Amino acid sequence: MQKKICMLGGFAVGKTSLVRRFVQSIFSETYLTTVGVKIDKKSVVLPDKTVDLILWDLAGEDDIGSFRVSYVRGASGLVLVVDGTRAATLAVALTLRERAEAEFGAMPFVLLFNKSDLADRWAISDSEINELRQLGWQIYLTSALSGECVDDAFRQLASMVAK
Amino acid sequence: MTSTVDPISLPQRAASNDTEIDREALANLLVEIARNVDPDYRARFHGVPTADPRMETLRQLLVGREISELSRVSHLLDEPEQLASAVGGVLPSAAARAPHAQLGEALAPAVERAVQRSIQKSPRTLTDILYPVFLPAIRKSIGEKIDQTFQSLNETLRHIFTWHGLKWRFEAWRTGASFSEVVLKHSLVYRVEHVFLINRNSGLLIAHVTADNATSEDPQLISSMLSAIQDFVKDSFNEKEQSGLDTIRFGELRLWSEVGPFATLVAVIRGNPPEELHEIVRDVLLRIHDECSQALEQFDGDSSQLAGVETLLQTCVELKQEDSNQGFPWLVVAAVLLVLIPAGGWFLLSWQSGQRWQAYVSRLSTQPGIIVAEQKVRDGQFYIAGLRDPLAADPLSLLSGTQVDPARVHSQWQFYQSLEPEFVLKRLTASLAPPDSVRLSIVNDRIVAEGEAPDTWIDRARAAARQLSAGGPVFDISRVRDVSPEARAAEHWQAYVSRLEVQPGIIVAEQKVRDGQFYIAGLRDPLAADPLSLLSGTQVDPARVHSQWQFYQSLEPEFVLKRLTASLTPPKSVRLSIVEDRIVAEGEAPDTWIDRARAAARQLSAGGPVFDISGVRDVSPEARAAEHWQAYVSRLEAQPGIIVAEQKVRDGQFYIAGLRDPLAADPQALLSGTEVDPARVHSQWQFYQSLDPEFVLKRLTASLTPPKSVRLSIVEDRIVAEGEAPDTWIDRARAAARQLSAGGPVFDISKVRDVSPEARAAEHWQTYVSRLEAQPGIIVAQQRARGGHFYISGLRDPQAADPQALLSGTGVDPARVHSQWQFYQSLDPKFVLKRLVASLAPPTSVRLMTIQDRIVAVGEAPAAWINRARVASQQLSADGLSLDISELRESTPQELTHLRDTIQAVDIFFDSGKAVPGPEQLPVLDKLSNQLKELAKDAREAGVTAQFMLTGHSDATGRETANVSISAARAETVRALLKKRGVDPELLLVRGAGTFEPAEAENSRTGSSANRRVSVTVNFH
Repeated sequence: MQKKICMLGGFAVGKTSLVRRFVQSIFSETYLTTVGVKIDKKSVVLPDKTVDLILWDLAGEDDIGSFRVSYVRGASGLVLVVDGTRAATLAVALTLRERAEAEFGAMPFVLLFNKSDLADRWAISDSEINELRQLGWQIYLTSALSGECVDDAFRQLASMVAK
Repeated sequence: MTSTVDPISLPQRAASNDTEIDREALANLLVEIARNVDPDYRARFHGVPTADPRMETLRQLLVGREISELSRVSHLLDEPEQLASAVGGVLPSAAARAPHAQLGEALAPAVERAVQRSIQKSPRTLTDILYPVFLPAIRKSIGEKIDQTFQSLNETLRHIFTWHGLKWRFEAWRTGASFSEVVLKHSLVYRVEHVFLINRNSGLLIAHVTADNATSEDPQLISSMLSAIQDFVKDSFNEKEQSGLDTIRFGELRLWSEVGPFATLVAVIRGNPPEELHEIVRDVLLRIHDECSQALEQFDGDSSQLAGVETLLQTCVELKQEDSNQGFPWLVVAAVLLVLIPAGGWFLLSWQSGQRWQAYVSRLSTQPGIIVAEQKVRDGQFYIAGLRDPLAADPLSLLSGTQVDPARVHSQWQFYQSLEPEFVLKRLTASLAPPDSVRLSIVNDRIVAEGEAPDTWIDRARAAARQLSAGGPVFDISRVRDVSPEARAAEHWQAYVSRLEVQPGIIVAEQKVRDGQFYIAGLRDPLAADPLSLLSGTQVDPARVHSQWQFYQSLEPEFVLKRLTASLTPPKSVRLSIVEDRIVAEGEAPDTWIDRARAAARQLSAGGPVFDISGVRDVSPEARAAEHWQAYVSRLEAQPGIIVAEQKVRDGQFYIAGLRDPLAADPQALLSGTEVDPARVHSQWQFYQSLDPEFVLKRLTASLTPPKSVRLSIVEDRIVAEGEAPDTWIDRARAAARQLSAGGPVFDISKVRDVSPEARAAEHWQTYVSRLEAQPGIIVAQQRARGGHFYISGLRDPQAADPQALLSGTGVDPARVHSQWQFYQSLDPKFVLKRLVASLAPPTSVRLMTIQDRIVAVGEAPAAWINRARVASQQLSADGLSLDISELRESTPQELTHLRDTIQAVDIFFDSGKAVPGPEQLPVLDKLSNQLKELAKDAREAGVTAQFMLTGHSDATGRETANVSISAARAETVRALLKKRGVDPELLLVRGAGTFEPAEAENSRTGSSANRRVSVTVNFH
């Protein structure tokens, strides 16, 4: 089973490096700047089946206006990526999700606070994260550097979209 | 109880008319009721009054409401308009509830008729309705048809003249098929390697089939990327159509995609597929949609439902057309060749000549510095016109080797200066004449000078770079190192070294320059010149000179002579000299000295030059003294005006007596140099006036002081004066002549001409000439007076005083002055200044003045004027003068500042959240673009560059990051709109200021429309 997943997040939050070590990819990163999207594949083995997550890595933009919402069409889930050292990127990720859902309806998502290895520059308070968890959101503190929680997040999303 | 009248029958009787009630029947009914109530009533009943008003009242009471309702309904049915609006209200829902089949059948004939009528009446309406539906379909169909035709045509053309073509023509003739069919059959070699079926919505792969031996990367990723690219193209170019990318071509590979409602089929084809293949692929896609429409629509990533489509796709990948190899029909070749050779020969000749010409033209057009504007061939003649750089290759010389007949070529070339870097480089090389140490080259269209050069050259290169900066390529001289000080120091050093080398007694063994220090080593004779003292005047810094001299005794005769002179101290009567490398002593010396000299000569004989003392005569002092005295006496006797009466030598003392004229030489003075000891001379002289003409002449010369124009001479014992003199002098000479007449020689002044008027005039003339000579800017080359006329010629600066005007007050008659003046340019700073003022016409804000031979310009001026002053300064520097313009400030012309202020007052406004200005801003943009272009042009003419900064602003609503980006987006949009209106985009700079530079303070909740804007600022460079 395949599922289309869109990775959304502001500029330089680390989407691309987050997946670089964990996915199958045949396209170079120049696609991101030329076409605005790069496609990777992550196979997740669930107890009952294998889900191929086709990851659409959309070029990161702080300018919400230039976000190509049409790329989200047909997606089954979202990976929202936030740079934990820049609080503003949370707002960007949430806005991008709103844009996507306004266009194509609600869909499952996981929210990744990336760069968890930069503890000294961390800018998001635990209480803020807890508040979001209260909403029932799946939140992971990830690090592209250590690979912490990245697989967990994809596994969680795969089980959510495969239902 | 029975009744005679059936009550029911009563109302059933027909009424007299429809609207009225049968009053009689009603009355009877009422009587009957009354009778049933009271039987006696019948007996009293005699008839019913039909016009009883109570009847009507009763009727109203019983059925009044029904009557009014009935009249409303009947009215509704009777009035067509009312009925229509009533039915219209329920018709839609009635139609919706009707059984579909029946309704369709019932409506079909009417609708058909209606459409028919509509088309008959006005076909336009229906065309308009159907236009959006049909157009894409028609367009696509026509496009494909045209593609198909072109491809066939391409293939046909490609094969017409090839061997295959001939073969296929033969095959067409043999089989009776059309040639194009045969061509298509053979030429389209292709193979479908992959087929992807992709979900249109999510881009997920539904199915993928591969031909044998074909490989590809992960098909799931490819299918997603393909649909991403489709989205990208659609978004980027705002394409609304539902169709996707038709064809992607990459070398041998083609991606053909067919778009269906739920799925897209992409075929990857290697080779040259026929257009018919489109239809085959489309048919497969249609069949897939027919068979699995529901599964396709509900596809959510699980393709197990759609396993069957792979077999359908398999039919696509099996499509291919392989190249066929057949035997080679030699007979056909021979036959065809026989026909083609003569025809081909003729064709080739005419074609070749045109082809050569075309080759020549394309050769010219690729030639740098040559622009072919027009060329044509007419009646076998070739015409060509265009531009060429003087440095470019000669178009005529390019003809050679092309086999085009030059006599048939008519060229018209206009010269221009190419700005191609290659040509600019050539011109620079010619004009700047770079020293060998400088290399000019072209790097990325920039001309780069590298190496070392003196400052004078760098200045000239810099001036050239400035000139080029207007439109030409960049001339980068930053890598040229200024080596003037070193170079000059090295030159001075070399001058010093060669000076040393020609110095006798100095041998330079080694010398070098390193790190600005000078090292020299060698040998020197102690008697040779001091190398250090030779430094003076060479401008070599003594502190930087490191010398190492070793002393040696030079055996050069010159030095040996010096040493001999020092050690032997020869008497004055001995002269040492060098004769053919031998040192020769001549003269007289006492025997003691001769002995010493002889000893020295012996020493020298080992290796040194010969010292020859054979020419020295040995004299005893007495003998020498007597000799000296006799020499003196005979000297006196030969002296005019001196008469030696008596002389004798006694006891080493000398006695002499006689007469002498006061004007004769002093005997005492004559002693010097005779080596006669004056203390031992005793003289007795008596004065007398010699009448010897020689002495008379002397006395006359002393007393009369004749002018230069008079020459006194002795002719046969007579004193003759010749020449010209003023009358006063002639008078005095005449008096002297009278005195002399008693006994003296004759003084003849008859040959002196009286020249007083001329002399005075000449004096005046001389005054005038010296006045001219003192005049700055006037150089007197030649002047003379002849026959009472004055001739003068020379050079004068146009700015110098007028020589003619200087005549006044000199007493020289202007009518007798013949001047010949040639103009020249004086390099006196004063004149240079005058000329500069005349040629540069400085604006009133600039003041030129001279400060110590330098001309300095101060004040402010437009850039164009400063540039002209700079050029003048460079020209002057070539003449060794300097015009200092470093104090000049640049001013911007008034008209530019005016236009700048106008432009800076303009704002482009935007709606909230929009990065594109509304249509009402377009006139503002039009006007702004015209103003920008005008200012850019004016500025260029004034010698400056105007740049425009477009600053985007936003209101304070929303987040700051979004505000900054939308402000930048606004500025970018305005830039694009201005560029579209012809403003040079190079001049347009863009920045986003977000909310930081608001036009007015605002409340962040409502935002301010005045702050959603793009403003313009102008900068001049």
